[in-house]
Formats: sequence, C-alpha cells, structure tokens
Amino acid sequence: MSLNIVVCIKQVPDPEFFSKITIDPVKQTIRREGIPTIINPLDKYALEEGLRIKERFSGKVTVLSMGPPNAREVLEEALAMGIDDAALLCDGMFAGADTLATAYPLAGGIKKLGNFDLILCGNETVDGATGQVGPQLAELLGIPHITFVNEIKWTNERELIVNRALERGYMKLQVSLPVLISVVKGINEPRLPTVLGIMEAAEKDIKSFNAQDIDVSEANVGLDGSPTRVTGVFEHQSKRKGEMLEGLPEDIVKRAIKRLRELNAI
Amino acid sequence: MDFSFTRQQEMLINMVREFAEKELAPKALDLDEKGEFPHDIIKKMAQLGLVGIVSPKEYGGSDMGHVARMIAIEEVSRIYPPLGFFFQAGQLAIYMFQMFGTDEQKKNCLTPLCKAEKVACTAVTEQTGGSDPSAMQTTAKLVGDDYILNGRKVFITLGGVADICCLVAKTDDKFNAFYVEKGTPGYEIGRRENHTGMRCIPVNELIFTDCRIPKSNLIGQEGRGLVAALTVIAGIGRMGAAGIALGASRGSYEAAVKFAKERELYGKPIINLQGLQFMLADMNVDIEAAKWLCYYAEWLLDQGKSTREIGSEISRAKVFSSEVAIRTNIKAIQILGGYGTTSEYHVVRRLKDSIELLSAGGTQEIMRVTIGRNIMA
Repeated sequence: MSLNIVVCIKQVPDPEFFSKITIDPVKQTIRREGIPTIINPLDKYALEEGLRIKERFSGKVTVLSMGPPNAREVLEEALAMGIDDAALLCDGMFAGADTLATAYPLAGGIKKLGNFDLILCGNETVDGATGQVGPQLAELLGIPHITFVNEIKWTNERELIVNRALERGYMKLQVSLPVLISVVKGINEPRLPTVLGIMEAAEKDIKSFNAQDIDVSEANVGLDGSPTRVTGVFEHQSKRKGEMLEGLPEDIVKRAIKRLRELNAI
Repeated sequence: MDFSFTRQQEMLINMVREFAEKELAPKALDLDEKGEFPHDIIKKMAQLGLVGIVSPKEYGGSDMGHVARMIAIEEVSRIYPPLGFFFQAGQLAIYMFQMFGTDEQKKNCLTPLCKAEKVACTAVTEQTGGSDPSAMQTTAKLVGDDYILNGRKVFITLGGVADICCLVAKTDDKFNAFYVEKGTPGYEIGRRENHTGMRCIPVNELIFTDCRIPKSNLIGQEGRGLVAALTVIAGIGRMGAAGIALGASRGSYEAAVKFAKERELYGKPIINLQGLQFMLADMNVDIEAAKWLCYYAEWLLDQGKSTREIGSEISRAKVFSSEVAIRTNIKAIQILGGYGTTSEYHVVRRLKDSIELLSAGGTQEIMRVTIGRNIMA
C-alpha cells in the first residue's frame, strides 16, 4: 500500500521584509519588487508532514502551486526537501484571483495529476491569511476537509485520527482517506534541505500547466472568476510610540509603575 | 562575466543561514563558555551534507565545490565563527585524503570523516615555527613494513578530539605525509592551548614517541608530503580562514546596523549621525571587497586551477578578509558603545575569534610574501 499525497504551497513575500513593502497609490496594489519570497511558513509544515507520511507508508509526494513563473523557486525548495514531483499552475489568466478563483485551478491541477489519497495544505498564508483555499479546494474535489490540524495519528493506512487545535481546547476527529488536511505550526519540525537534496532538485523536472491543460473555464479563474474584490489598500499608520526605560531593574520597575499610573493604565 | 550565485547556491545560502540561526545562535554563548567540542552539532552539519561539501559522493560527500564551501563557512561564521573553524581545520584532512589518498584510505578515512563519524586534525606545525615547515624535526623512520614516528607537533587545531591525525614527518631528508589513528601506541595528546578565541575548538600539542604505523598509512607519494600538506593548507586552510573572517565581519556589521537603527540619541536613531554612517560605509565596502576576493579564489578552484597557480588569489583573500574582520569588529564595538563588549551582543566574541585568524592557515606576513614573490616573478 502506498499513498499519493499532494501538498499545495504558495510563494509569499518574506515576512522579515514586510516593513519594506509599499503601496502603489494609483493602482492600489502592493509593490513587491525587491521583496524576497519564501514558501509560506505553514506550508513547510504540510510538506514535512507529507514526507513523514510517505516515509511511513511509502508512496509519492507531489507539490503543487499556482503563481507566476518565478513561483518555480518555491517548488525547487520543496523538491530540495525531498518531495518527489512538482507542478506549477501558471497562466496570465489566473492573475488577480481571490481564494475561490485560486481553489478552482488547484482542483483542476490535482485532477490533472491523477489519483490522490491525501491533500495537505498550510492552514493559512502569511500574506492573505484567509484560511479559505484549503476548504474551498476540498469542496471542489468533493472530499472532506479538516483545518487547524496539529497532530495526525494513523489507525491504519486508510484511516486517521487528527487533532484540531481550537482556541479553548482541541477536537479529535476520525476520518478516512481521501481527505484534505490544513496544518498549523507545531505538527512537526520541518526539515532543512540537504546539500544533496539541493543539487538533486535542480535535476528534477517541474511540470507547468496552463488553464487549457487543466481544463478550467475562464469564468472561474483570475480576476473575472473572483467573487470578492479588493476595493482599496491602505498603509496602517501606527500612532503608538515606545518609551525606553534604562537603568537598574529595581529602578525600572518603580519608574514603569509610576508611568503606567500617570497614563491611567493601571 | 557573471557574478551571480546559481539557484542551487542561493538555496544553499538559505539552508545554512536557517541552520545557523536556529541551531547555532541560541547555543553560541554557552558553547564559548564551556569550551566543549560540539560533536552533536558537527553530526547535524554532516547530515545536511556540509562537512563533505567538497568531497566526492562515492565517499559520503556532496561534491558541491569550493564556492559552496565558502557559502557554508561564511554563513556558519556569521553566527558562530568557531564552527567555521571546524570546517577550516577539519576539512584539511578530508581534502588530504581526497586529493592524495589511495582508494582504500578514502574508503576507510574519507567516508567516516564526511559523515562526521570521525574527526581529523592535520599536524604540520612544530616548535620550529609554522611559517618554516621545512625546519620540522619529527621523524618517520622506515623499519621493515612500518614507519616509526618520533616528535612533537604544536598548535594542532582539533588535536584533542581527532580520531585521525594527518601529519608530515621527515624520513631522512624527505618529507612524507601519514595518518595515525587515535589509540595507536606512542600517539599521545598533549596539553590544550588556552586561546582567546575559537573557544569550543580544542587546539593541542601532539606527541609521537616510537609510534609505529604500517607503511600503508603513507598518504600520497613518498617525498611529496610537504607539497601535499601545503596544497591542502592553501586551498582549504587559507580559504577557510578567509571565509570565517568574511562571516565574522558580516555578523557584526549586521548587528551594528540593527543597533544603529534602534538606538536613539539626541531624539533620533544614531544611524542618522553622519560620523556613524561613515563607519558603516567603510565596513560595508570592506566586506564587499573581501567577499569578492574570497568567492573569486574559490571559483578559480572550481574551474580546476591548482592552489599553486592561484597562490596570489588565495593569499589576497586570506590577508584582506582577516584584517577586515579585525577592523569591522572593532568598528562594530565602537558603534555599540558600552554594549559592544558585553557577551549578549556577540560582537566582542567575533573579534576574539577573528584574532585567531591572523595566524591560522599561514600568517598575514606569509600571505604577503606569497603575493610579493609572484609580483617579483
């Protein structure tokens, strides 16, 4: 028995450079030039979980992403971690997509790849943070989904018990394959690629599918296929100002309490 | 002309950076205070394929080349230079076996070294001075099918923890390279030096007293031992020191920039002070210049140039980077003011580590002599 696992990942701007992102006042879009990109951090946990499941049951892990041509870079990084196969959904028609218009091509891509047993996603991205693509994708594929998963336990090769991390506790759910699972931090510790993995990644082929290849209708993808619209983007102006107290810890504590009282904070 | 890293090299930079920030940064202070050799970290670096980065895959290496090695050393040393020092010293023996060893020696020694199942040191320097290796007094007398070693080696990096020691000794008037395994009767580890920097990497005296080794422990051709050692010292030792210096400079430069942006004086961050900008600009120019000297020499090695052909390129990288590390770290200390010499900011630690580089792999003066001779030629 071996499993066919697909991990969906997204190329996102590196959060360390978020402070350098500016807004184009005319086009009302985010200027991303010069901002390094990375694999969405939670997606790395999904990749790691996919690899661990494959190492346990054998099978194949394929990574899938939708994005511009340079999104190949995050697929290469996934391959360097040890992922077997990669595919990029890339078409000008996909530009401007919201979550639903992202889920459509992803579903098309997964169908194009063939049989699957398990789909893994990061629970949300650091740029959009909607957490919607996973559930929408599962609906389009007609399979169940479970979000906020921080632990997967296998009862057998087709059945698993997962732990959903909720705000005030957790929920245990039993589910059979096929299923889509969105994972959160803590489910594992993602591995670093090895030097050999990096070198082998360059030799692996990355498939590229356009809208026609995956048989999706223009009405369901890109800006036209998006039921939601971003009507404006603005930069948050922080009015808060920090105050640094320096000196010996005992003095700082006394002065901090005094300042907090002056500000009617306590 | 193309000055850009390949996609693979970019991925390597990201991987080593992440490793260093996650694994080394939280442990750096503790490692320095305890001074214990971090076997566990070395094993992790080997699992990532970093220890055997210049070695063939068939012997457990990852064969990514010298530019890749420079990337690994720079990124590791940016956070914690002593582990760069492990690459600098530990890979001397790796390269020695790789370049000059027999298939048998590669199988028995190179493979476990690349996997960090074993650690090796390389012993050339004696009391007679590292800059004049031909004056060495350690002897290797051929008796039947064995060599008998007698002598003392000093300032041997990794000497105290090495499972394998590569050394050069004199057989009559010829220099031969050998390896000796830990536990061989007559091979003794002497006192550990109390150096100011590179605290977790032991540097020891090694003593050979009627130490008998089989003839098969000869590395390379008879009489070519010193040439082999100098080849390894140039390509691995000097370039290693250059890479550590580059990383140590960049780590402290970044710390200084961050501090200058956050620290406020006269109502605004001190980075607005032009006097301070001049210091940061000088550091920036120095580091960029050192970087390209380092990567150019490594690129030449990857192009198949011998260490002899590019003696000046290697020496330039080592002499310049080592001096940049000293002045960059001193400037960083000045920028950090009172915080500069506290252990929490790691800058003074990098300065102490950088001082060790002035003599590692050959003194600054020997580098200048090499460049000078090539100018004269």
